[in-house]
Amino acid sequence: MKLAVFNGSPRAGGSNTKILLDHFLRGFSETQGDEYELFYLIREKDFTSCIEAFKKAEHVVLAFPLYGDSMPAPVKAFIEALEPVCGREGNPPLGFIVQSGFPESGQSHYLRRYLEKLTRRLGCRYTGTVIKGGVEGIQAQPPWMTRKLFQSFYELGRIYGQTGEFDPELVEKLGKPVWYSGPGLIVAGFFMKLFGHAYWNSMLKKNGAYEKRFARPYAPEK
Amino acid sequence: MKKICILNGSRSDNGQALDKYLERLEGILESRKYEVTRLVLRDMDIRYCHGCWDCWVKTPGECVIKDDSSRVLQAIIDSDFVLTASPVVMGFTSSVLKRAKDRFIPLIHPYFAIVQGEFHHRQRYEKYPLLGLILEMTPGSDEEDIEIISDIYARNALNLQTVLKFVRLTSDPEEEVADEIGRI
Repeated sequence: MKLAVFNGSPRAGGSNTKILLDHFLRGFSETQGDEYELFYLIREKDFTSCIEAFKKAEHVVLAFPLYGDSMPAPVKAFIEALEPVCGREGNPPLGFIVQSGFPESGQSHYLRRYLEKLTRRLGCRYTGTVIKGGVEGIQAQPPWMTRKLFQSFYELGRIYGQTGEFDPELVEKLGKPVWYSGPGLIVAGFFMKLFGHAYWNSMLKKNGAYEKRFARPYAPEK
Repeated sequence: MKKICILNGSRSDNGQALDKYLERLEGILESRKYEVTRLVLRDMDIRYCHGCWDCWVKTPGECVIKDDSSRVLQAIIDSDFVLTASPVVMGFTSSVLKRAKDRFIPLIHPYFAIVQGEFHHRQRYEKYPLLGLILEMTPGSDEEDIEIISDIYARNALNLQTVLKFVRLTSDPEEEVADEIGRI
């Protein structure tokens, strides 16, 4: 199958989205005859070549980080550029990969509803939305911490290459936790403070900005 | 409540109807003694967020991209109420508006806090303005789009630890919207 992949991360080649896609595409390419074309939306001046690739593809995957409970602005600009192909005969099946810093996949469910509606608007078959939370920081983590995550994306890609579908079991597994509750929330909150804050603090200290971390440059003068 | 900021997210190609609506609304609000700041985002130099997080870890609270986004952030923090306006384009608010909104992250802190049982960002400022949203229906948009947008904007408000007070359409008379603002 011919797959068009759009990476909508504002960080492009340095993004966590890229890392997850690399593993997905490594799995995807294992099936003989499968090939893909990859675009970084932030690098496109207009979206002419992206729209052409969208129209020619047999399948499309759009991957990006959750930004403000929705899609990053370059992704919205791309979606607006797709307006002329709404309802076009032969639009490819379309699916999404959304990753977030927030650990709960439920944070992306509001956006998922939008994405599902978008596929209807375009007249594409919806192949689903893969949601993975807690991704911020993976570039600083040692390999043993990310091995399972990368293996899951490799498997997801491998199965997609064979079937043209996101494996429902893997999607469900990656989507955990949807939300935290009860003691789970307390434990998660404790670890987030311990490791999450340490992650930000180490960067603040490296930049000599730790003392200014609570700065309020736009606050009214008292 | 005294200070209102209107963020006009209309597009350059067919923004006139929304522009006119907002001008009339602004007139009414000013006649009712509100101090109104109007920002027409499409006319401002606001670049895409790079996702570098320097506003969190290098120059806390300030973006390293020097453009008009800082005017938007200052207006937000200075206001009691921020009214965001946009046409519905492909089922969501415009990319012009989204580009400005992606640049809001210097207003929050990288640390997480648990709010209503969910992970959110810790507040950077003591107080954030209340929010409202005005949408212009365009051909092909429907009730479901409004619901989806409203849900996402309510989430945005939660992330800023404030409240989305209303979502209105430009088919509602300006007077009614002004009255609703008056009741906040």
